[in-house]
This record gives sequence, C-alpha cells and structure tokens, in this order.
Amino acid sequence: MPKVRPRLIVALCTLSLPLALICLCVNGEANAQRSAIDTYAITNARIVTVSGPVVERGTVVVRNGLIAAAGANVSAPPDARVIDGAGMTVYPGLIDSYTNLALPEPAAGPSPAGGGPGAFLLQQAQARPSPGGPNSTQPVGLQPEVMVEDSIRSTGNDIESSRNIGITTALSAPRSGIWMGQSALINLSGQTPQQMIVRSPVAMHVSFTPLRGSYPGSLMGVFAQLRQMMLDAQRYRDSIQIYERNPRGIRRPETDRSLAALVPVIEGRMPVIMLANSEREISRALDLAAEFKLRLIVAGGREADRVADRLAKQNVPVLLSLNLPRRTTAAMPEADPEPMRTLRDRVAAQQTAAKLVKAGVRFAFQSGSLANITDLMGNANRTIENGLTPADAVRAFTIWPAEIFGVANQLGSIEAGKIANLTVTRGDLFDRNSRVTHVFIDGRPVDLRPTTPAPGAGERPSGRGGLSGTWTLNVNLGQGDRGATLTLQQEGDRVTGSIAGVLGSGEISNASVSASDEVRFTASLNIEGQTKEATFTGTVSANEIRGTVAVVGLAPGSFTATRVRPN
Amino acid sequence: MKKFLLLFVVLVAGSAVHAQPNETLIKNATVLTVTRGTLTNTDVLIRNGKIAGVGKNLTASANAQVIDATGKFVMPGIIDAHSHSMLDTINEGTLAVTSMVRTEDVLNPTDVDLYRGLAGGVTTLNLLHGSANPIGGLNSVVKIKYGRPASEFLFPGAMPGIKFALGENVKRSSSPNTPGVTRRYPNTRMGVEEVIRDAFTRARDYKRTWDEYRAASAKDKNLIPPRRDLQLEPLVEILEGRRYVHAHCYIASEILMLINLADEFGFKIKTFQHVLEGYKVAKEIAAHGAGASIFADSWGYKIEAYDAIPYNAAIMTRAGVVVSMNSDSDERARRLNIEAAKAMHWGDLTEEQALKLITLNPAIQLGIQERVGSIEVGKDADLAIWNAHPFSVYSRVDTTFVDGAVYFDRAQDLARRPELAKERATLEQAEPNKPPARGAQSPNTPRRRPTTRTDDEIDELEERP
Amino acid sequence: MKILITILLICVPAFAQQIGNPTTQQGVIPARGVFAIRNARIVTVSGADIENGTVVIRDGKIEAVGTTVNVPAGAQSIDGRGLSVYPGMIDAGTNMGLVEVPQGANGTVDTSEVGELNPNAKAITAVNPHSAHIAVTRVEGITNTLTAPTGGLISGQAALINLLGTAPKEMAVVPQFALVINYPRVGFGGGGFGGFQAPPNLAETLSNNERQVEQIRKMLRDAEAYGRTLDAYEKDKTLPRPDRNVVLEPLVPYVRGEQPVIFRADREAEIRGALKFAEEMKLKPIILGGNDAWKVASLLKEKNVPVILTGVFSLPSREDDAYDILYENPAKLQQAGVRFAISTGDAGAEVRNLAQYAGMAAAFGLSKADAVKSVTLYPAQIMNVADRLGSIEPGKMANLVVTDGDLLEIRTRIRYLFIDGRPVVLTSRHTELNDAFKNRK
Repeated sequence: MPKVRPRLIVALCTLSLPLALICLCVNGEANAQRSAIDTYAITNARIVTVSGPVVERGTVVVRNGLIAAAGANVSAPPDARVIDGAGMTVYPGLIDSYTNLALPEPAAGPSPAGGGPGAFLLQQAQARPSPGGPNSTQPVGLQPEVMVEDSIRSTGNDIESSRNIGITTALSAPRSGIWMGQSALINLSGQTPQQMIVRSPVAMHVSFTPLRGSYPGSLMGVFAQLRQMMLDAQRYRDSIQIYERNPRGIRRPETDRSLAALVPVIEGRMPVIMLANSEREISRALDLAAEFKLRLIVAGGREADRVADRLAKQNVPVLLSLNLPRRTTAAMPEADPEPMRTLRDRVAAQQTAAKLVKAGVRFAFQSGSLANITDLMGNANRTIENGLTPADAVRAFTIWPAEIFGVANQLGSIEAGKIANLTVTRGDLFDRNSRVTHVFIDGRPVDLRPTTPAPGAGERPSGRGGLSGTWTLNVNLGQGDRGATLTLQQEGDRVTGSIAGVLGSGEISNASVSASDEVRFTASLNIEGQTKEATFTGTVSANEIRGTVAVVGLAPGSFTATRVRPN
Repeated sequence: MKKFLLLFVVLVAGSAVHAQPNETLIKNATVLTVTRGTLTNTDVLIRNGKIAGVGKNLTASANAQVIDATGKFVMPGIIDAHSHSMLDTINEGTLAVTSMVRTEDVLNPTDVDLYRGLAGGVTTLNLLHGSANPIGGLNSVVKIKYGRPASEFLFPGAMPGIKFALGENVKRSSSPNTPGVTRRYPNTRMGVEEVIRDAFTRARDYKRTWDEYRAASAKDKNLIPPRRDLQLEPLVEILEGRRYVHAHCYIASEILMLINLADEFGFKIKTFQHVLEGYKVAKEIAAHGAGASIFADSWGYKIEAYDAIPYNAAIMTRAGVVVSMNSDSDERARRLNIEAAKAMHWGDLTEEQALKLITLNPAIQLGIQERVGSIEVGKDADLAIWNAHPFSVYSRVDTTFVDGAVYFDRAQDLARRPELAKERATLEQAEPNKPPARGAQSPNTPRRRPTTRTDDEIDELEERP
Repeated sequence: MKILITILLICVPAFAQQIGNPTTQQGVIPARGVFAIRNARIVTVSGADIENGTVVIRDGKIEAVGTTVNVPAGAQSIDGRGLSVYPGMIDAGTNMGLVEVPQGANGTVDTSEVGELNPNAKAITAVNPHSAHIAVTRVEGITNTLTAPTGGLISGQAALINLLGTAPKEMAVVPQFALVINYPRVGFGGGGFGGFQAPPNLAETLSNNERQVEQIRKMLRDAEAYGRTLDAYEKDKTLPRPDRNVVLEPLVPYVRGEQPVIFRADREAEIRGALKFAEEMKLKPIILGGNDAWKVASLLKEKNVPVILTGVFSLPSREDDAYDILYENPAKLQQAGVRFAISTGDAGAEVRNLAQYAGMAAAFGLSKADAVKSVTLYPAQIMNVADRLGSIEPGKMANLVVTDGDLLEIRTRIRYLFIDGRPVVLTSRHTELNDAFKNRK
C-alpha cells in the first residue's frame, strides 16, 4: 500500500493514480501551508538552470513549494517576499547522492538525561532502530526488506551541516549489511520524516562486507550468499506465480519478506547500489550484475575510471565519492615510504570524475562519509582542477543524480513545476571564497547557521564518543603484561584500527562493537617470534576495555585497554 | 597535474605487457623439455603465444624478437598446485561445508607477490580455498598475467576443482574454546568423515530430486521447481566426474578414510594436498588413482606433521603416484625449482622425474597437461629462461613468458628501478601526498595475507576486501 | 623398538660400520680417534682449496691438512677421491633444541620465559640433545648452531652448540655466548602480516618503544651498578655485603662489553636504534635479522658491528621493494665491508636448508666462495670461535663435512660427517622412517 506524501503530488498525478488518492493529497496540501509566506522571488540573480543556459540576470519565483517561474524576463509577483539576488547565483538544490543522513546512530547509547522542552521528542528521535526487519527469515545483514523510510528522523546535526553547505536533498542509504536494505531520497527539511521523503524506495543496497562470526563470514561467502538469495528469490516468485495460477494440489509456498523484497531487484525494476571503490570491487559488482541482469549503480567508485569501458558498456552509473584520499600521517624518519600505489591512487582519485565524463560514464557526486562535510566543495574543486568542467561539476550535484534516481522530473534543475529546492551562493559555488547565502527546500527558506565544528569533528556523536582514540593496551598471555598501543577509529558501526608495540604492528581486523558494548577484533601478534592470530573480546565502558584474548595454540589470556587520547 | 597523469599512464603500461612481438626466437639454449629430454644448443620459437618450434637453427620472421640464450636454460613455466596468492580472502570458516564459495570471486590481480612468483619462473597457480572446513570452496586455476585484469588470469579449460580438508585444521584443534560459543562440528576425524558423507548423501538426493522434477515437468507445467542449491551443485559435479577434488590432509588414517569414502560414493580424489604421510600409504593412493601435491621437506611444525619426511616425493613417485611439489606460500613459490631438486637429494629421483614435480605433474593434476607443463610444439609458450640449470642453487630467472608474452624480465626490472625512484619523487610532491593534511584516510592498501608456509597459519584469518 | 634397531643396523652405510657407532639415536656418542680423509679436495675456507689433499683428525682436533701429510699409523682411513672436505656449516640464528613441535604441543616449546626481562634464562639449560631436529639438521652438513631464546625484551642467553651429544654440556661450544635482546620493533620485517607498512600510528609506536628501551636500559644500568658493588666488596670486605641477585649477575659480563649482545632488529630504524643504544651502554652488539642492514651498511662498517642475516628467503618487507632486495642483502654488505653471516633464522626443522640460503645469495651477487664463508668462517668469526670453528686448519675442532660436490648445491650428498672429531652416522628420524616405509608393498 503506497503511502501518500504531500511532496509527491506531481509525481503521483503524472502516474494518473485514482481520484481518491488525489483527494487525499489535498489533505496533505493543507498541512504544507502552515507557513504564512510561501511565495518568494529571488531577483537580479545569476541563475544556473542546469537544464538550459545560464541566465546572467533574472528572477526565480517560488510558490507553493514549487518553482513557479525562472528567467530573465520573469518578474516578482506582488505577494512574493523578494530577496535581492544581486551578486548571487541560484543553483538547483544540491543532491548528495549517498549518505546516511537522517538515520539514527546504530550504536547510540541512552539519550542524555535532562528535561526541558523537546526532551521527549529528542528521545524519540534518538531511539535505537530495531536491528532488523520483524519476522524476517534472514539474519541481520541479509534483510533486503529493511527500509530506510521506516527509521529516518527529521532532526540531526548532520542534516543541518549538509544544508549549510547548500545540500537540499540526499539519498539516505542503510548503514550496514550485505543486503543492506532500501534507500530513500529525502529533502533535508521537514517537520516529519514523511514530509522529507521525495522517493522511497529508491534502490536496493549491497555491500561486500562479511557478517561477523556467522555465514557468510568472508568475502567469498558474501558473493555466494548474494547469489543464493537471488536464486531463491527467482524460485519464490515462480512458486507464487504457479501457486496463484492454480493453488489446488500445490503445497502453499511460505511467504518470505526477504525474498519478496528481492523480486523487483532480480526483475530489473529496482536498481541495486553496490558499494565498490577499487577496480576489483567494481569489477566484481559488474560481474554479479551481469550474471543476474541487475540494474547496477556503483557507489564509491574511486577507481571507476579504470573500469570505465565496462561501466559505459553496461550503462552503470557511479555515485562518486568526494571523500578524496589524502595523506594524513606526518613525515617521520622512522616511517617507511608510503607505497607507490597509495601515492598514485591519491593523485588518480582526483582525476576520476573527469575521466568518467570522457568515457561516457554517468555519475553523481556524493560526500562519502567525509569526516568534515565542509570539505565537500573544496574536494569538488579539486576534480575541476583535474579536468572536470565546472558545468559538469554542477550537473554531478544536480541533474545527474536526479536522473540516476529517476526524479529528473522533480529535481535537478531550475524549471517551472519542479520542486523548489534552491541553493543560493555569493560567488561561484566552487570558489573557495564563496558563501551559501540561502537554501530553499520545498519552497521554503532554511535557516543557515554558521558551522561550528563540534569538538572531535568527524566523529559521529555516539553515546560514548565511540571507540575512536588511542588506547594503551596491556595483554597478558600468561607471561606477564605486554604493552602495546591500540588505535581505533569508529565510523558508524564500522571499526578499524591498528596495534603497535612489542607484540608487533599491524592493522586489526574483524573489529566490531555491539549494541551491548561488546568489542571484538583480531590482530596478528608477534608471540615467541611467530606471528599468531589473537582474538580480543571485551566490554567497553567509557575509556576502558577489559576482556579476554584467545590465541591459537595458547591458553586464553586477558587484556585491558585504557583510552589515553580521543581521536 | 597533467604531468602526473602522463607519468601514471606510462608506468602502468610499463609494468604490464606492452607491444609484445608476435614472434620470439630463443636461440642456442639448453632446453629442459620435460617430455623429450634435455636438448642442448637448441632454439625455441614462440609464435602467437604458442610454442611453434623446438630444434636446432630455427628461423623466425624478420620482425621477431631474438634472444641469445647461449649458456642459458629454458624450462617450462613452473606450475604451483597449491597457492593462496592473489586471494583477498582465503577461508569461509563459518560452516563445515562451504562448496558454494568461489575463489574466483575474490581475485586480486595487483598482488605484488604474483610478480615475485614470476621472477621465480612460476607461470600457473592453483588457487585454493583454505583448510578451515572438510569441504571448502571452489578453486581457480590461473596464469600469472600480472598487470592484466583478473578475468584474463583464468586458465581456459582448466578442470574446475574444490578444496577438501582433513585433520587438525578442520577439527579446529588450535582454536581455543570461547565461553558461550559452541564449537563447530566436527571436532574429531570421525566427525570429519560424517560431515563429508552427509554432504554427498544430500548431493545425491539433490540430483535425484532435480532429475525427477525434469522428468515430471515435461508433462506437468504446474510443478514448483526444486530449490537450486549452490552448496550441493559442485558436489553433484564431483559425483559426475566434472570437478576435481583437492584434499588437504596429513596423516595416513585420514587419507585412507577419504579414499574409502570416495570409493563408496563413486568419485575420485584428484589430488591429496600436503599429504605428509602419503609415503606410508603410497600404494593405496596409487590404487585410487589420486595424485599427491606436497611440500619438499617441511615437517614438524605441528603434531600431524611430525612424521613428514623429505623422501615422500620419491616413495610416492615409485609407487606410481603422480606427485607435484607446491608452495602454499608466496615466499616459497619463488624457489620451487630448488624444492623440486630436493627430490633428487632425498630419494634419488632422476632429473626428469624431479622436473615433472613442478611442471607436467601439476599440469596433469589440474587438467591442463595438453596446454602446459612441457616444452612441446603446440603447447602454450609459458616458459622461463634461467641463467643456470634451475636445479642449481646459483640459478636465477632472466625472463618469464606467459602465452608468449614477457611478464618478467630481469634486465627490464633493473632498468626500471631509477624510473620508479623518479616517479616517487614526483608523486611525493603532489598535493594529496604532502604530509600532513586534514581529510580522509588514505585508501586502504589491501591487507597482506600472511604468506606463511602452510594452510595452518592462515586457517583462522579472514580479511576485509 | 627392536624392529627399528634392526632396520637401523641393516641400513647404516657401510663406512659407518667400520668407523663410528651406528646407534647415535640411542644416545651414544661415537668415539673420537684418529682418522684420515685422503686424496680429497679440501676447501679450507681460510686458505686456498687443496686438491688431492689429506686431512688428519686426532682426538677431536684437526691435526694436519695438506698434500704432503703423512697418514698416522692406525688411523681409520677414508678414501676421499672425488670427494670434497668442507668445514661444517654453522647457523647462528636458531632455536635448535628448544622447540620440538611449535603448534599444538606447547609442552615441547621452551623458547620464551614469562615477563619481559629474563637475562638469566640460558638456552644451554633447555637444549634437548635428543630432539629429532638435531640429527635431521646435522646430516645435511650443519655441525653447529647458535641456539637462542626468543621471548620478551631481554630473552636470555644464547648457546653455541655442536649438533652432537647426549647432554647439553657435551654439546656446548660456548654455553653462554651472548645476551639476546629484542629491540622494539617499528614494523614487521619480511613477509609477515602487515609487512608492507610501518604502523600508521608510528609516533605512538616509537614512544612506546622508547619506554621499552628504557626498561632495558634500567636493567643494564642496575647490572652495571651491581657488578661494581660486588667488585668493591671483593676488594674491601668491610663494605656492606651485597645480596646476590640471580637476574642481574649474569648481565655483568655483557654490560662490561666482555661478551656480545645480540639485538634482533630488521628494520632500518630498529638497527640504528640498537646501534645507538649499544654505543650508549658500551655494549658489544651483533645484529640478528638485518633485513634492512644494507641501508645501514656504512654505519655498521664504521662501528664494526656484524650482522647475522636471517631474512634471505623472506619476502621483501615493503610492496615497492625490488623482488631481489633480500637476496642481494649479503652481496651488498660484502661490498660495503660489513661483517655478516647467513642464517635460516628457523626454529629448528628447516635449519637443514641453510646451504640454499647461502646459495641464493650467491645467485644474487655474492661470490660462491663468500657464500660458503657466510655459513662457515664468517659466523665463527662473529661468534669469536674462529680459532676453533669455521675453517679447516690444524688445531681447530674437527667439525668436517665430506661431500660429493659443491657444499651449497642441493643435489650434493653428504658422505661423511665429523663433529668434535667424532664420526657421525648419517641417520635421522627421517632416514629411519624412509627405511621403514620405502619398501612397503
């Protein structure tokens, strides 16, 4: 049963839905008119329409949430609130084509205590999402039926930070899993989640991240399980069809929400967005898509230019991350030189966008979990310095994502009848000295606040500040304490890090933190001159982790880690 | 910035295969043909990726590349029948039967150890799943076309295979008990047998179910088809003789167990891998028709390896077993020539027998003996030029060819080193490489697989892509 | 057991029945005596090769070497025509005899003590003379190993042993040769997990390492003070009598620079750190590992610090390293004039492959003669036993290998073996198992 959303009027009408539905829309319309003023005109501005030529001096009229008119010869209606746009440029609202915006933090602890107005709402907003679909046949991580739409919240610092730099719309994708679930395209303003949604579901999401401790626990297993579930979905669909044709004499097929959710995917009706950055990850995504005739969209795409021919041939668009790799470590004489591949990749990543244009691969920009969203335009600028035309850079933030997500009739350009999402800047969007002066979402101006980087900017605010930081690790394997330094980075529920000390140095793997604050990771330790795998399992409380260490061939040991410095 | 772009293109091309001549004539070498003896002062002609001639005073067309190999040795490219190179992940260890997983899905063609293998004269690898479970994943046979996309590595026509494993790894002998976590079945060699028996019993039923469905659905279109089961399909292929079993094992009893079980279900074990106690049951292995792919002399690293002896190759060869010598390690893969020579030192194999351990015999074990494994006209031009007899500790590879193209050349490698140093200097000046800067983490360099000597040490390890 | 002995008796090479005792596995040391290896090519290592020469062994020592040597009356004679005599090979970086089965049999592992600082742990105490590794190793021509503990920061003391004997004391050449210190690592050496890169949080690692070095420094300073206190008391008994300390006491000769200290260090920063620390503490350092030693060659030369290279067969430490970077390490050190030896670095089982490590170095630039020296005379010199081991010269211990070819070539066979002047039967656990099964029908 489709839910009716006020902002979907145009789309719904064009789909010529039954009259009854249109009646319901009118009700929604009433809700949207709570604001006293809903007609605006930005005059004397430069207008980057994207769909047509740039209007050097013109007016954009916004009424009733939509763009009413735009052009050089348009004049402000008498009832409009007029913004003098002299010296300003109006762009279509920018679209961030891959985010987790509006989704609650997965591992958030209890809300901070404290009364005051809104505390109840705040608590609701931060309530922990249910980990998986109810009555699912599949374990968490393999539940394609999970929908972002069901768990988004309309408030949050991240939303505001994104709006501040001119982003009006974002694809909100599920955070984790193999079959991660289905995304929603949302406008970054609304009283309720329902008001924010532009389109849902947009796509099925897949990442090649193994589950922890259960099948599939390896990259190989991930592919096997993706295949098996798609085969199962085919059979599920066929079984139901056969059964519905004539149920007599056929044992009733069990319903299965997970497999049902995959049917539009295997039939090519719903696109699949796969997270893939390296050349080989993208190749694997392309192979899988070809095998099952999926409508693939690649997200990440750092090395997409190296597979550009295949992407173009299979008509696969890319949601290209602007989280451009940079060197983050200081120069030290003791350090090994960085691998050439790393050096080359950093340089090459800035050139990917231009190469994709040249190869005819469609793409849209995304922020790619940038630690600091304010770096987004600067990074876009780097792709321009490396050959992307500024016009294409604007397209990659506007009409191209709108086309990729099938909403080009609603978003992505400044044309009459489209949703009035506008980003207004003083100075060129990609100019380092430019400033976002106004943002309109659904025809309404959004309050812009100066960005104040929170302490520990880049960390997602989780209840305990996450695991990120530098920890002093003491390991006892029955031979006295051995010290090491443990560095952890937590990003969402993704934990990475490294260990260094007399026990050896290297990255940790299979790291995780559960909702009940259980931390797990494995590391290769140098024990008695041999490299051995150690599995750490512990419980984190504030700045301490305590637990046990299991090493193959040794009696179980214990460890404590104390945070000496947050990151 | 354009400068970087240019440099990048040049170097990528430099490391890959570029503008290879269609014809190469290797002149006046000592040729270790493997199947036709050792030929001195002999030429080898390569044309369009194949060996087009082996003989004296061969001539090539005017634009052929001619290599004077006077004083040098040419041998077939080494085939390593047990490798985990270029795999982003090696074990799916969560289940006891993981025949649905495929190594082909996780190939990393940029693994630099591949190049190091080429520099040791290796051209073909049998990439196997790890030994975490009685029935592991599907293998991939690849030619080392370093610099090319993964899809070009796959050896056309190689028999599909699968990894089985027996013994300590499968029992999780080294895994500590974790409180609250149930140990994975099996825990004994008894249980290992039952896991495999159960899997093949299910596979047999699965095949019957599909056969019955196919027969019935011809008449009745309203039948719901059986579920396709990716776990059981490879096992059906084994039962039908369409997939080779490569079974990791150590001790005599477990080897005999698997032979009996295979006989019971009517399939063959193509190779026993490691098979350290193969010498104790050589005649049974030979009678089953299985091959053996072994270490030259590794022993004693765990209890089930304590009876390993370096005479294993000789005893099994004399019993009629097709034996190969493998690396199971990116390090050891670089010196399989010496590993093979050890079978002359311990056990008195002839030079030809010892050469076969790393050429024709592994080719037979992988079903690619019509294509590679010896120097014969019509075979793939996968070979290496050595500066001395490859069984000498003083030998070293000068040039390695895969399908007639040069994938390693020592002279080129030496010549490229100053260029690489120059490129590094330039790259380090590039803006994103300047330390330190705020922003994203560096791209994850693929984590190293440990390149240890046996499956055992990599057994438990899983990495992110 | 009876069957085994029977098989043994049947299979022992003919010469062994003439000389030596066929039952080495049963723990009896073959008797010394007078032996002459005649008409052989003698690779003295210290001097020129001698064609058609004779080596006379008497009571454990080399008595005479040359072309005009008289064979003493009553000497057991070996016809050396077509054979070569080499000094026995020495591997200066093993755990030989300290570990039998490293995985899954912790009871057989005696390499690492509890805690970080164990200068009083002595390898010679725990060497198992009856380890199967010992015979398996010596029959390939390796007569001596340095056997070292491995754990913690100060691992303990390494022993130089003959690979023959029924008791550690009989095997010992230098029972307490060197103190072994694991210099804190900044990253992995060759091949292993994480081998490509130094840790991303290098600053943390370094400060952590500094703390560990401080731990070592403090203990060495304590030992120095302890030594002075003892000396003072010896001279002047009116001083308060110091309590004896079993942990500090063995450190005294090392902190006084009388005996060498082995630093395990592979990476450039580790090697430099170890050299600096040794200089500060006035120690006599030896580097064990040394993958990056070629980068530090001029400093090693300047300080005259020798290196025991264990990484010739390791994969290069870093992704961009040339494929042959560790194969070439010995040749580069040789060119730079740095003293070095080649070792397997193996715990025990694969020490027998030492010759191939040296051979690989020779394939990549080291001369064949230097390759032989790198596993004979050079390690003997580094371990200050060149007056007893490492070459064929009168007066030296008769640790000799008689081969049918080039010592380093894998196809070469060992025909006779003398350790400490005793003729060793060329059997091992492996030959026994071979004999037991090779004719199974």
